[in-house]
Amino acid sequence: MTDRQWETRLLAVLAAVLVVFGLVAVYGASSLVATGGGEVGADFALRQLVGAVVGGIVATWLARSDYHVWRRAAWPLLGVTALLLLIPLLPFTHRIAPTINGARRWVNLGVVTVQPSELAKLAAVVWTAMLAAKKGEQIRTFQRGLLPFLVILGPLVGLIFLEPNLSMALLVAILAGTVLFTAGARIGHFLLVGVGAAPLAFGAVASAQYRLARVLTFLNPGSAPSEATWQVHQSLVGLGSGRLFGVGLGQGQQKLGYLPYAYSDFIFSTIGEEWGFLGVLAIVVLFGTFMWVGFRIARSTSDAFGQLLAVGLTALIGFAALLHIAVSLGLLPATGITLPFISYGRSSLFVALVATGVLASIGRGRKVT
Amino acid sequence: MAKLAVRLRAVEVVVGGALVCIAGRAAQLQLLEGRRWAEEARAQRTEHVALPARRGALTDRHGTPLALTQETYHVGVAVNELRDPAKDVPRIARRLRLATADVQRALRRRYAYFAGPYSVIDVQPLRAVRGVHLEPVLNRFYPAPDLARPVIGRVGDDGRGASGLERALDSLLAGRPGAAVVLKDRAGREYESPARVIAQPVAGADVALTLDAELQEIAQRALDDAIRRMDADGGDVVMMDPATGEVLAVASRRRDGSARPSVFTDTFEPGSVAKIFTAAALLALQRVAPAERVSGEDGKYRLGGRTITDEEPLPVLTLADAIRFSSNIALVKFAARLAPAEQYAMLRDFGFGAFTGIEFPAEATGRLRPPAEWSGLSAGSLAMGYEVSVTPLQLAVAYAALANDGVLLSPTLIRDVRGPGGDVAYRHRPEPVRRVVRPEVAAALRTLLRGVVEGGTGAEAALVNFPVAAKTGTARRVVGGRYAPGQYTASFAALFPADRPQLVLVVKIDDPRKGSYFAAQTAAPVTRSMLEQALAARTVALDRARLSTAAPRAVAQPLDDDPGVVPYVVSWPFRPDSSPALADVARRAVPDVTGRPLREAVRALHRRGFRVALKGWGVAHHTWPAVGDSAAAGATVTLFAAPRP
Repeated sequence: MTDRQWETRLLAVLAAVLVVFGLVAVYGASSLVATGGGEVGADFALRQLVGAVVGGIVATWLARSDYHVWRRAAWPLLGVTALLLLIPLLPFTHRIAPTINGARRWVNLGVVTVQPSELAKLAAVVWTAMLAAKKGEQIRTFQRGLLPFLVILGPLVGLIFLEPNLSMALLVAILAGTVLFTAGARIGHFLLVGVGAAPLAFGAVASAQYRLARVLTFLNPGSAPSEATWQVHQSLVGLGSGRLFGVGLGQGQQKLGYLPYAYSDFIFSTIGEEWGFLGVLAIVVLFGTFMWVGFRIARSTSDAFGQLLAVGLTALIGFAALLHIAVSLGLLPATGITLPFISYGRSSLFVALVATGVLASIGRGRKVT
Repeated sequence: MAKLAVRLRAVEVVVGGALVCIAGRAAQLQLLEGRRWAEEARAQRTEHVALPARRGALTDRHGTPLALTQETYHVGVAVNELRDPAKDVPRIARRLRLATADVQRALRRRYAYFAGPYSVIDVQPLRAVRGVHLEPVLNRFYPAPDLARPVIGRVGDDGRGASGLERALDSLLAGRPGAAVVLKDRAGREYESPARVIAQPVAGADVALTLDAELQEIAQRALDDAIRRMDADGGDVVMMDPATGEVLAVASRRRDGSARPSVFTDTFEPGSVAKIFTAAALLALQRVAPAERVSGEDGKYRLGGRTITDEEPLPVLTLADAIRFSSNIALVKFAARLAPAEQYAMLRDFGFGAFTGIEFPAEATGRLRPPAEWSGLSAGSLAMGYEVSVTPLQLAVAYAALANDGVLLSPTLIRDVRGPGGDVAYRHRPEPVRRVVRPEVAAALRTLLRGVVEGGTGAEAALVNFPVAAKTGTARRVVGGRYAPGQYTASFAALFPADRPQLVLVVKIDDPRKGSYFAAQTAAPVTRSMLEQALAARTVALDRARLSTAAPRAVAQPLDDDPGVVPYVVSWPFRPDSSPALADVARRAVPDVTGRPLREAVRALHRRGFRVALKGWGVAHHTWPAVGDSAAAGATVTLFAAPRP
């Protein structure tokens, strides 16, 4: 068993490096914002550090415990998540779920403020892995196999969409789809669901002006009003001006109000500006290695639940990173996906660390073959 | 689960592809297009700001400031930034010379603004106070606002010279603004700390004018007095140093108190004051012997259907008498001995009908018609100073030529120009335009003028101690194209002292209504009053040592040989370089005027001492003699013009 430990260790090291990288990047990207608000420059970074410490402790604990508890916890987790997602949608809950930037994505639980949609990623992955492992070969049928997933996950994704948070809804759907795909669901069924969902997705995009503008400007740059292209364009300006070596930590100037959410939704752009192409490459290599190790653990795990859970958790971190980076690079329309471990946001960081902990637990639990 | 391995491999392939895409895209943005993005980033974040340059000062010839640029400050107080309002507020109030209560009231707003302007000394102690923001402003400031204002002009709202010398010298005074780059955020707020200075501002040059503040003051006061006393329409005074062409005082005033630079821009028919120039032609061409007499005709003389009268008829007159008593009849009779071309050339040579070339942005040429346009009466009219219009400045320049032994100098208002570092960029040297008459003719003419003061029409200008050479003129005024009945222009031109003159004065009073309108009773006493004041003034650099020995009329002795008198002011005005060997008629190079507007080209040629014959219209094309060739001073250069290309 000990000779298989290097993967979990590497995982821990990768997560630690990414978290530290993230703390530094958040400090660099947010110091000016924080000062502008009359707070100390390190405020964002310090809050993030607290999240990282708590998340790290939880992740270590999870890594040392048996991941099979999640099989039993899947349904309750899904239920709690659905409940939390429901809170912001209720009209009388403004006090604990205020409107921030036109959306109600945060719920104040008294002790902490959580973003239910971040939790939903975890819940969806765990629950899908659990059920898919239970179904086994049945997954290849539509009625007994795929339909139950659609019935449960459909409303969940719908709740996230209503927050509104379309990109997160899509990400959750993709994560669940990846787990199902790995579990062996028929590709034909996916196509069927895809064709069925396409009008829905179109309707979702067209239902909000800003989404339509983002998508249109992505498809046809230069045609739309400049405000819609602003974010992505500024992201490119920042990244591009970083060139090979970057302008230096804290020296980036896109955060002077040019790049919105330089410390969260567009932190990759800030890293690209301050650390240059080398920094970008480092991030890509770190996440690439993370996914390689994650999938390696999945492949070498013996039980189906462990395999699917490992795939789902790896995708949870890896796909979010890919989407975030692709948006920053102007390869996808602007979304609000954070970069796991790195972006400011304790919900996101906590979920990423929990996922890493569970992944490590799976890696430890493998039988030597 | 073979199936899982295959499916997982597919996921891995997709992920791997995505990672490669991302790395490739990042390489494209950061490595291939990096320079372009960096430039765009710089363009949107930085802003060029101009750092204003201090405008050069204008001073009089002794360094007395006439126009200064000072850095003054507006003071802003951000209330929330004050460390200790209880202590800071009284301190601010004291520095701004405001009541503490007033400042406190102003500070109820979040940002109190005190426009001031406050001087450096006022605000210097406030620099250290947190929350006090100083906003520097460059202000043009005229220490003596009334002194020579029409000449100095003003600066427009854009900071450029709008009129007068401020405008003429703008390129010298303005300096070169510097530039800096400041960072700005999306809201346009500028971040000062990383401001990068690209170019330091270069302060403008300081210009010392030839004006003498004290003489200017004397001239203005005397003119104001005269206008009020005589209830005149207006008047002008010019004082010049005949040896250098430097203008020492220029005063112009209208009855309503307004002042425009009419010394340069307004022309008048000089009348008798110009008779001396006809005399100059007569003496230079030796058409009149000193003892030669003509009949006074009992004060009435018919010529070509016109009756010419004298105020004080004499039976017989020499040329000296004709000037002394300003006899029209005698002058007309003598002038008949001159060919029209000779009469015209002499007036032209004295600078009438042409620009003097002074640095003032606007100048009138006056009018002197060539003989081809003369009527039968013109020769007589010109002899008496009619049918020619001149500016007071032209008159002063022409009289200065008499004082300067017959060499006409280009007048100037600029004594020297100093760069911001104090280095002298330009120093005025006398600029001879041409020799008009021989030195002995000039001396003879001065003797004639001296006679005017000694018992002639200019007796009112006589000083007890010093001989003055002068000429009066009382000319009928043209209003709306015809001679207005009962309106006269009284003018008076004086050389002081009569021997080796140091000062040329021209006084012109428009339409004096109270008392006599004769220049002898109007302009002449004003001149005397100014001369007396100038002599009494402490700083005016008249060479009193030489004045005291000015009596001998014979050979003028060099200053150094003056025996027995301790010269206590010697700065007036003779620098060794002032007029070396102007007498010999040197050949000069013909300047290149190709492509320049005719007006400028003619002026350039005049300044070199050539006469100009103009052929064609448009812009200067070529000259004969050609560029680079040389010609004797006073020779005629033909300027061929071609239509503007």
